[in-house]
Amino acid sequence: MTTTNSEIAGIDQPSAWREFWSKEDWWSVWLGLGIIILAYVFYLAGSSISWIAVAPTKWSTLSQLATQFSTNAIRYLSLLGAFLILFTIVISFIGQKPKAFIPAFIFVFILSTIIYASGNWDQASRYNLEPPLVALILGLIISNVIGLPRCLDAGFRVEFYIKLGIVLLGATLPFTLIIWAGPVAILQASIVSLVTFFAIFFTARKLGLDHRLAAVLGAGGAVCGVSASIAVAGAVRARKEDPPIAISLVVFWAIIFIFALPLVSRAIHLPTGVGGAWIGTSEFADAAGLAAAQSYGGLAGKGLGISGTADQALASYTLIKVIGRDIWIGIWAFVLALIAVTVWERSETNSKVQVGQIWGRFPKFVIGFLVASALTTLIVHGNTLGDYNKLVKPALITPITSLRTWAFTFSFLSIGLTTRFRELANAGIKPFLAFTAGVIMNVILGYILSVIVFGHYWSSIVTH
Amino acid sequence: MKIFNSIQLRSSGPICQECAYFQNDPALIEQVYRGLTAMSSGFASVRDQDGFCLCHQLYLSARDSCPSFVPAAGQVH
Repeated sequence: MTTTNSEIAGIDQPSAWREFWSKEDWWSVWLGLGIIILAYVFYLAGSSISWIAVAPTKWSTLSQLATQFSTNAIRYLSLLGAFLILFTIVISFIGQKPKAFIPAFIFVFILSTIIYASGNWDQASRYNLEPPLVALILGLIISNVIGLPRCLDAGFRVEFYIKLGIVLLGATLPFTLIIWAGPVAILQASIVSLVTFFAIFFTARKLGLDHRLAAVLGAGGAVCGVSASIAVAGAVRARKEDPPIAISLVVFWAIIFIFALPLVSRAIHLPTGVGGAWIGTSEFADAAGLAAAQSYGGLAGKGLGISGTADQALASYTLIKVIGRDIWIGIWAFVLALIAVTVWERSETNSKVQVGQIWGRFPKFVIGFLVASALTTLIVHGNTLGDYNKLVKPALITPITSLRTWAFTFSFLSIGLTTRFRELANAGIKPFLAFTAGVIMNVILGYILSVIVFGHYWSSIVTH
Repeated sequence: MKIFNSIQLRSSGPICQECAYFQNDPALIEQVYRGLTAMSSGFASVRDQDGFCLCHQLYLSARDSCPSFVPAAGQVH
């Protein structure tokens, strides 16, 4: 058999090399690590990227805010320009249209600036103006009430922004923390993932749903939401109409949990590290969970009786979600594919399962997250705590944290802007019941493990 | 063992990737699966090279194969 061409309409040709520039995962690695290296080069030269990594600071009156923006206008424009150049390169390489992306991203940037600034109002916590939640609600209102032209979707790249943010987050977490807390995160997440999967799968089967739909729903609830559902759908050869059912259910519950988990955590005064661990265990999608975790972490130190730091919420969340759940998606897909061909059978296709999919489906941005963490740990190593706080943090870590917050805000806003409830498929009562059974199991077990069993562990994680 | 017989290191013979019925353009996947971009992406690694089989109406791996294979335009077998 000879393959003679590489460009066929509607077909994306597989190639080990092409993956490096055709997938958002790899681009988040290139960009994230590129930013960190650039920040380090500036730091070594006795300078910093903080000039371009501008961010709103605390304000109490509108005139103060106006002064902030007028003083730093050129810095904000430069930041927008830098993001536009970098992201447009990414968009072009993955095959999207820059012409559609550029105006859409400018729109996202302007709204994100307003959201970022609103979170720095000194009265923000009094009115519960947590930036992730404000971004989400604003996005949902714009997309579902006002409506936007479809072409603007080109700029609402939820996954790309969140992956870039997670790689940058890696630069602010010590590698020793990942080594120390990783095994617990994997243990906790594995217990919940398996129980949730089986709860959804067997409830779905009991209700008469097909094996494959049951597996697609189960993976969505147990592993990493929509991404897991779509990965397992391909692995088990699901019916074309199965993934939208899982997408609808994951999005529905994920949006509810973005608000509900921080709200309940706040009501029972969970330390931020514990709240983040619970969110990491029980939220479904990375971006949705990060919105909830960042929102909850933001409540620390505001006189609400919530102990810990904002970074602890993000760290425990990321460890459980990314290290404990996301990285196993290839294994889940492979095992379910094997079960599909050996137990469930399907006559339409052959009966072979490719081992390569374990790596093929691996969420590559995790590599960037780990490398970023190892890199900054090496850079910071050897500095005393005093030097770190006085020199390294303001020149190196704070600008990276600021860029990370921008990336997260783009993502949270984009969740709202792309969630159009009327467009979601009608899941049907049986899939809804099956998925909800897993959701209930997941949230209860997640609470028990995060708060009761490992609570002392997550409340004391060290993030600096 | 049936399980071990079902595992392959790499595909042999014509695969869905080269079939006229197969479509896996990420933009198309995002267009057809409304809501996918809200919390995932057509361009994510987890999606590998999966796509639609327009013959069997399945969503499957580009490395699958079946007896209904028809070479896509430009493919010589």
